[in-house]
Parts: sequence; structure tokens; C-alpha cells
Amino acid sequence: MNSGSCPVSEALIELRERLDKGVLSHPRCRTIAEQALGLIRDIAWARAGRDHLQALEGLAEQLAAWDGDPSCSETGQHLKSALFEHHEAFASHIKTKNCPTGQCVRLAPAPCQMACPAGIDVPTYVTLIGMGRYDEAISVIRKDNPFPWVCGLVCTRPCEFMCVRGRMDEPVAIKPLKAFAAERAFSTLTYNNPPKAPDKGRKVAVIGAGPGGMSCAYYLAVMGYQVTVYEDLPVAGGMIMVGIPRYRLPREVIDREVAMIEELGVEIKFNTRFGRDVTFASLQEEGYEAFFVAVGAHEAYSLSIPGEKDFEGVRDAIAFLKDVALGERHAPGKHVVVVGGGNVAIDAARTSLRLGARSVTIAYRRDKDAMPADHEEVEQAEQEGIHFAYLTIPVEVVGENGRATGLKCLRAELVAKPGSDRMAPLPIEGSEFVMEADAIIAAIGQKVDDSCLADLTAVDWTHRNTLCVNSVSMETTMPGVFAAGDAVTGPATVIEAIGGGKRAAQGIDRYLSGLPQPKTPPVPVRRSMLPHLQTSAETKMTLERPEMPLLFLDRRRTTFQQVELGFDEAAAKEEARRCLRCDVCLRCGKCVEVCRDRMKVNALELGYFDFDHPVKTDFRKIEEKCILCGACATNCPNGAMQIRDEDGWRVLSLCGTRLNRAPLVQCSMCKEPLGTERYLEFVKNRASQGGVPVSSMYLCVNCARKTGAHSVSENLPHNHGETP
Amino acid sequence: MSLKQGQKVEIFQCSKDESWEQYMDGFVGLHGIITDPDASINDPDDLVEVSVVGKGTFRLPQDCLRVLED
Repeated sequence: MNSGSCPVSEALIELRERLDKGVLSHPRCRTIAEQALGLIRDIAWARAGRDHLQALEGLAEQLAAWDGDPSCSETGQHLKSALFEHHEAFASHIKTKNCPTGQCVRLAPAPCQMACPAGIDVPTYVTLIGMGRYDEAISVIRKDNPFPWVCGLVCTRPCEFMCVRGRMDEPVAIKPLKAFAAERAFSTLTYNNPPKAPDKGRKVAVIGAGPGGMSCAYYLAVMGYQVTVYEDLPVAGGMIMVGIPRYRLPREVIDREVAMIEELGVEIKFNTRFGRDVTFASLQEEGYEAFFVAVGAHEAYSLSIPGEKDFEGVRDAIAFLKDVALGERHAPGKHVVVVGGGNVAIDAARTSLRLGARSVTIAYRRDKDAMPADHEEVEQAEQEGIHFAYLTIPVEVVGENGRATGLKCLRAELVAKPGSDRMAPLPIEGSEFVMEADAIIAAIGQKVDDSCLADLTAVDWTHRNTLCVNSVSMETTMPGVFAAGDAVTGPATVIEAIGGGKRAAQGIDRYLSGLPQPKTPPVPVRRSMLPHLQTSAETKMTLERPEMPLLFLDRRRTTFQQVELGFDEAAAKEEARRCLRCDVCLRCGKCVEVCRDRMKVNALELGYFDFDHPVKTDFRKIEEKCILCGACATNCPNGAMQIRDEDGWRVLSLCGTRLNRAPLVQCSMCKEPLGTERYLEFVKNRASQGGVPVSSMYLCVNCARKTGAHSVSENLPHNHGETP
Repeated sequence: MSLKQGQKVEIFQCSKDESWEQYMDGFVGLHGIITDPDASINDPDDLVEVSVVGKGTFRLPQDCLRVLED
């Protein structure tokens, strides 16, 4: 698992050792220490409630104040100082039910949840989807992300990159599962808001109605703050509305999720630019006590090549996509060249195609391998007929009569850069050529438009021209002003903006409550501990990640209809069953070790346990060697590996996946279940190695003893009641 | 360094970049996966999104990263 020490786990071990070693001799003192140990164990095992910490502090105080026994007061002092120094860690264990170090094994969080910038409890909602409880799945997601449907369609899914299933075959399709559940919950009118806290009567201004701003507004509204969002555009959504085309993210999806946030009382003032229509001072006068800035990065970099400013038909992708999102329906040109290699370039190209351009080419200065765009987007663009000109460097826009007619380019080759492992494109001399183009769209990056933030004079900026914040609380250097999203990170992802908005809401709540800000990033919260979905090893191994059904090609090339059609219910439920439940199995390897090293059976070849060097795993092969002894289950610290007897069979399962089962052999005399035949053979072989004779009958201990005693008695000479 | 999505990396040293915060010192020696490389221009100065095993997902400067495999 993870490195680092956990103060809760350390306190537990230390107190247990003191008790075990008899350090505390006074009986009353021992009783108090045992009570304290019980409370710490509750905290480490996700069983603690709000009162635990206070009760624990009380017991530590009693021990520390103990007069009669110095070891007792020393133990109390030690515990007191641990609770004082690591108060946040103890409180975090109780609140989040997660221990990021993995040392409190019951609280080791799943890698997918840890990977999510918003900290969504992925295993819980995936399991709920597998159970058909879609509305509950959405409620779980919205505790950490108020845009499950949006993210189900456009998230960059860091969770899937960390998905442990990906070490075996393909990661669980976490993103589409989220979209499926959200759509179903909206469709069945079960997509609900959480209850709001009572109105605090305090006002917070949010600048920007993008994913970061709306997320912050949502969590503040749930906490009882009065939130007003100021938005420059006539629509909500920010970059997800005006930067992501409708064939990837339908407007209705954004509108529905924004409407849910508005239902909580969040007011959005459209066409209102901060720094022009409202100012920092005017909002302060209106009674706003805290500010959240999430203005995004809407200003594009220019190509900086000759001719760029001289001809009509040259524009940047951000402005182009925004115009189309707000209603523009004319093709930018007949022959379009998009310059760039990121997702924005792909979006601009596919949008141009849908508007009727005859040819669309993406010119990128490196090769396909170095392209930062999502490979699925690249693949879909290729299917639709977008041309890719790799290793192509634009050098000049050429034109006639004030109108662009082409883009002069040079061929390039990638060469190693001195002192760096980075391959750089080097223009090939004499390779000049002109690509025919009456529309040239630059998609080479965006930056923050800082003109609207001139009011915020005490805010520091980074050398990247982004807002400088503490990434834990999202505080800027100006008291009461918080920030997140692209304005802080530079052009980044939707889920990072959402995570930043959520952290900022917590930071603003602390700021307005006069509480100190935390020093380390928040630990994601475990929302539930659900039972496993039951499945066979065969099913677990053979279920494949479903292919995403796509709209047919002709319609994709001509309309803005959603390309990815989503999973149907059967596919979603099946996909949920591929989840390995890493919130329960923390891949500590104790089961593998005991099976291999102690039992010498070596049945559990679970190669996916290793992050750096995963090797093959096949749950189906386990039954070939497994003797169903149960040593693995006994040594599993988390109850992930379980062995149980069911209807005359012994069954071994790992997080609900049945790894092996065999009929139980019963005692030949009393019929008590003894174990499986293979297990009894194993015991017999071990016993015979030690030279102990074993009967051919299967007898339980009691019956064996009785039989043995009877046989001895029969062989003894009758003593007729005489004493020796 | 030209980083790609899905690439395994090690945080092998603290960064001197202004975006490096104190709590990130605890990341040194840990492994992770690039989940979002710099978005469009492969700028070595850009922050990249890395999912660090057991810690979470963060935007980190590239000078603290070392690629573990291609």
C-alpha cells in the first residue's frame, strides 16, 4: 500500500503493547486503558461516532492524572499528546472512514477514490449500480461532485488509470457507469438534492458559472450560505458549455444539473462581468463576506506567424467553439486547417466538419504518439474523416484579396534535445509546402484573461499567469478571496475544477467560521461499506469492458447529436460486477504469503496486487491447487477473503468472487463437517510425514478419541475391579 | 520531458517550482500515473496531472518527475 505513518494506528499499537506487557499494574488503570484501546480500535475500524474523540480525550486525561502509578500517568500523558498533536488525523478517520496511509487496514481507501480529484467514493457507487440502486449511486456521487452526468460524459477519468482491474485486463468503465446512473435517475425523477442546512444569513459571491464555480456554489448552498454567481456569458457552464461541443456533451445535460444547483437557492446573474458590471468593492458593499474566483482560462494563444493578422479566416479555437455553442451555424470555411494537438484542436476540427466543411486537417508539429489529445477522441475524429498532418510546423498564413487561402508549413523531424529526454520537432530545410485552407484555427493553448481581476490587487499571480493559491484550502493571498479551476491550474480538467470548487467551499466555510485551514489535502470520505456483489471466478474473468455504442457515422459527420450513446442497463450492471472492490481488499498480499510460504500450497497467484510489476492473474486457476484450508481467510485483515460452509459445500471467495468450492466431507460417525477431501488428504499427508498412523475413516476429533479409547479399552486385560 | 497519459512516473525529488507546496515533500519516492499531460503544447514548464499512489491526484511541475517506463 502506501508509505507514511498513521498516528491512529501507532497509538493503537503502543497502547496494546503497554497492556500486553503488563506495564499498567493498577486494575482500575488497566480498565481505563482498555476502554481507551477499545475507542481507538473503533476509530481505526470505521466504527467511531462523533463522541468518540471527546470520550477518548477524557480517558487519556484520567490516566494522566492517576496518582498511584507513574506508568499509568505516563501512558496517559503519551496518549494525550498523541491526541493533541494529531487531532486532525483522528478526527479525519472518524469523519472520512478512510486512512490514506493504509495502516488502518479497514480504512484503506480504494485507488480509484484516491485518484479522483473530487474524491468520489467509486467502489460504493459502482456497487450500487450493480445492485440496480441508481438513485442512491447518484446521491453518493453528488456528495463529492454535483455534476455526475457531465463527468459521466467528459471526465478525463483519472480513476480509470488507477483502477486495479486495469492491471488484469481493462479498467472498469467508471465514467460511462456514472453517466448511465445519472441519466436513469433524471429519467425516473429520482435525481434529488440533499437537504440544506439552516440559512446562515451570510453571503458569498462566486465569480464564474463554470464547473468550479457551480461546484463551490452547490456545497456552500448545502451548508446554508446565500450564494450568488456572477457570469459574463448568457449561459451557465463556463468552458463545459462554450468549450466542449454538443456532440460530446449535450446542453440539456448541463442545464439539468445546473438547474438542480439553482433549486438549492443559488442565484446566477448572467451577462454580468466582474470588474465591469460589478466590482470587488460594490459586492463588499452589498454584504458579500467571501469571494470565490473561477473565471477559467478563456484567452487563446496566437500562432505568432506572419500573415496571421492580415487575412480573414484566421481565428482561435476558443472563440470559434464559443460562437458555435452560442448559436453560430456557418462553416468556418470549405477547407479548414486546425493547428494543435490537444482536445481543443480535435473539438474544433470535428465541429468544423459538422458545420459543413469539405475537408478538415489537423496540423501537429510532433507525431501521433506525442499528441496530448485523448486517444478515443483522436480515434473518433479519424473515423469521421478528419485528416492528420503530423510533424508539420506552420510558418506563414498566405492569402489573396484579404482572405486566407493556405497555410505555409515545413515538415519536421523529432530530434533529441541536448540535456533533455524530450524529443523536439526540428524543421527540415527545403521541405516547405502550402496546405490549402480558407479557414485556419489556432488551438495551441489557452491562458487566463486577467483583465477582469484587476480589482483584486492583493492577489498574487504565478509566473504562468495563473492565480496563486494554497491548493489545500484554495485561499489566495488576499483574505477572503478563494480561487480554483483553470484560473489556478491553467487549462486543466473538469474534475479538477470540481474538486477545487469543493475544497474552496470547505475553505470558505472555515474562513467565515473563524477556524484555521487544514495543512494537508482532504482525505476522501468513504460513503458506505456495502456487501460484495456475488459472482463466479469464470464470470469475473470473462466479463469484458463493454464497447461504447456510437451514433452511426453519417449522422456524426452531419449533426451535433451525441456520439456516445451510453450503456444499456444490462451492460451497466454487468460492468459493475467487474469491480474488484479495492475498498475492501487492499492487496496487502497476506493471503498469498500464507498460502505459499506457510501452507506450501501456492494456489493464490494474484498478480494484479503489484502496482509496478503486475503479472498475470486468473481467478479460475485458483481451484486447481486450492485445498480450501481457510488459512488465507483467517489471515486476511479486512474480511476480503472469506471461507464459509453452505449446504454441504465449502466456498472460498474474494470480495464476492467465488474462487473455489468443494463438497464437505463429514465425520463417518457423527456426520460433523470436517473439511474438503483435498484438505483432509493434505492433513493426512502432513501427518504421515510425521509418522503418525491415520485411520482410513474420516473422523472428527471427538469421535476419533472415543474410537481410540474404545479400542484401547478392548485390548486391555480385564482387571475385575482390582486397584493397581 | 514529453509525458503521455497513462505513463508511470516516480516523484524522485522536490521541485523548485513555486507551485510545489510543503505537503508535497511527502510525495518524494512515490510512484504514480500521468492522468493529464500538459494540454496542448508539450511545454516543459507546464504542470501535469499525476495520480500519486495512496495520495491523490495533483498538478505537479515536471522537474520532480521521472518516467518509469515507456
